[in-house]
Amino acid sequence: MTPGWIIALIAAAGAGFGLALIAAPRSAWPLLGVFGALFACLSVRGWKPARFAIALALLLVVIPAAGVQNNFLFELVTQMGIFAAMALGLNIVVGMAGLLDLGYAAFFAVGAYTWAIFGSAQAAQFMSGDFPLAGWPYFYIFSALAVIAAALLGTLIGLPALRLRGDYLAIVTLGLGQVVRVLANNLDQPVNITNGPQGITPIERPPIGWLESLMGALGIDGGPALGYALFFYLLVLAVIGVVVLVNVRLDRSRFGRAWVAIREDEIAARAMGISPTRTKLQAFATGAAFSGVMGAIFSAKQLFVSPESFTLLQSITILAMVILGGMGSIRGAIIGAMAVTLLNIEVLKSFSDFLARLRQTGFVLDLGVVSFNFANLSDQVEPAKYERMIFGIILILMMIFRPSGLIPEARHRLEEGEQTEQMKATPAGKRRAP
Amino acid sequence: MMLEVQHLTKRFGGLVAVNDVSFGVEPGAIFSLIGPNGAGKTTLFNVLTGLYRPDAGEVLFKGRRLSHRLPEHIAARGVARTFQNIRLFGAMTVYENVLVGQHAHVRYNYLDAIFRTFRYYRAEKRARVRAHELLDYMELNDRAFELARNLPYGAQRRLEIARALALRPALLLLDEPAAGMNPKETDEIKRLIRRLRDDLQLTILLIEHHMKVVMEISDRVVVLDYGKKIAEGTPGDVRKAPAVIEAYLGKGALEGAA
Ligand SMILES: Nc1ncnc2c1ncn2[C@@H]1O[C@H](COP(=O)(O)OP(=O)(O)OP(=O)(O)O)[C@@H](O)[C@H]1O
Ligand SMILES: [Mg+2]
Repeated sequence: MTPGWIIALIAAAGAGFGLALIAAPRSAWPLLGVFGALFACLSVRGWKPARFAIALALLLVVIPAAGVQNNFLFELVTQMGIFAAMALGLNIVVGMAGLLDLGYAAFFAVGAYTWAIFGSAQAAQFMSGDFPLAGWPYFYIFSALAVIAAALLGTLIGLPALRLRGDYLAIVTLGLGQVVRVLANNLDQPVNITNGPQGITPIERPPIGWLESLMGALGIDGGPALGYALFFYLLVLAVIGVVVLVNVRLDRSRFGRAWVAIREDEIAARAMGISPTRTKLQAFATGAAFSGVMGAIFSAKQLFVSPESFTLLQSITILAMVILGGMGSIRGAIIGAMAVTLLNIEVLKSFSDFLARLRQTGFVLDLGVVSFNFANLSDQVEPAKYERMIFGIILILMMIFRPSGLIPEARHRLEEGEQTEQMKATPAGKRRAP
Repeated sequence: MMLEVQHLTKRFGGLVAVNDVSFGVEPGAIFSLIGPNGAGKTTLFNVLTGLYRPDAGEVLFKGRRLSHRLPEHIAARGVARTFQNIRLFGAMTVYENVLVGQHAHVRYNYLDAIFRTFRYYRAEKRARVRAHELLDYMELNDRAFELARNLPYGAQRRLEIARALALRPALLLLDEPAAGMNPKETDEIKRLIRRLRDDLQLTILLIEHHMKVVMEISDRVVVLDYGKKIAEGTPGDVRKAPAVIEAYLGKGALEGAA
């Protein structure tokens, strides 16, 4: 099939599933179909504007239209977006620069606490002033500060990376990641900065009067809960757009090339004049920044942060997204984040519900030789609780069957456009001293 | 002098891999470094390019001290090298490998890259054009967008040279560029090295085991054995030096030959 046909097929599928989802916003199959179409837009090649248009139509028309009828949809896609930004950030550190970082959730925590402390009454505990900082510019200012704070911490955690390699680096970053969590847990004394294990709540959200009046004008009435669900959805979408743009642009610059060169062969990279110190710190800071901004958004969205939101499991989940998607691949990181989030929030839960229903109705599976009555299925069989085991299985299967991920890093394809342009510029065989 | 090596010593534990070696390389020379396996030739390259710290001695490049500087600084000063066991960036394209080689000359900052400023476009455009010129020169342009690790062996060797040239070096260190090549390819490498010097006004320091290459193109040769310099001179001088014959053929070879 030619790319044109494939894209037409994706458009048709997207439209079909999209309409079905708008008509039945609570059913799972149209939703999976819409995500399938989104995955496909990211995975296939050729005719970028068309793929882009389909993805935008799904994200800006279909999902909002279905989401206003079913808030959960916004929640799901917002989570996906938050994780996608983190996966993109970690992908720079682990995938591109080849530095195994197991403390990545720390940057998310720093971003989250940056806004949580000042966007709640918490800051009044240790400084004078009128807290929480409500009103429109504050949240956005602190999101920017969260980026800076995370990047600074990234540089700090990156420092040991200059001396360590491979497994040693992984263990040190794991430890430093825990240090951030322990600090959050214990910085309620002597000065109460983080409010310790209780966490901080309520956290201010930016005012969205403009969005509510827009929704009113469109005849949508869902109250502030729906308004904020839509707001965070749109905000995360916009931030993801920026993150992807920044990521792609860095990737195709001397900085991205230096990251990959250091990963491929540090000694050869140094012999080419690349400073590993500077390059690794840049990777750590950039990766951290992506996570920091989403941390700030997360704290406002959840209204609550506590140290328990930033565990080792979370760092590992994000790493799993990067590995699943394909180390070093930007589209892979996004798809990995979408897939793992979907699996976590939607698929495992639906499967649990499905088993519960079979159990209640006493469904009998009769295979002739064996038959099984689901009424006898133990209560312990609850897929939603097996998240880690299922991750483990997926990762093992990936390592065996597709070690470079769903969408492997493909640097040679990056240059499609340039290729033709350059071939014209220098006629082959016309050799001269460069 | 383009390069001055003064009393350079490098030890690995008890092993003296480079032992009080001194020599000078004139600008525009093809200067060869030969010696039996394990003589310390590659170690000397690694000291020159900053990968190893010398235990004693100095290296001067264009009159300035190079020893004790970081490899990336030495590279940026204009000393490029290739590796005996090819070290390309395998997962990058041939073309990107050459772009990485230009790292020190592609000048723009982080924000220029994010906002794609005029500076970014100007520097990248220059780098792209130059990358294709270099690939053309090394006859690799038709494979520009293949992954470096997928190239055949000979092409990988040429790509390493192209990548080193991208650094715009004044001094090029080649560590056995003709290793593993057939006679035809060896002959091509020989002509290439000469062309590099003539076209690009490079000074070349060459490690090579193919004696035919060394003898035909070198202006001067230094012979190392067990880390020590045992002879220096024109290819003709060195070939006749008794110490060299002995090092290569073993003790008693001279009497046997006579
Ligand atoms: N990093 C190292 N640690 C310990 N010993 C080393 C190291 N590098 C080289 N050596 C030793 O130093 C000596 C010189 O090695 P070197 O690689 O410089 O030889 P060479 O002249 O390049 O030989 P060849 O012709 O085989 O490439 C050898 O005995 C080698 O085993
Ligand atoms: Mg050697």
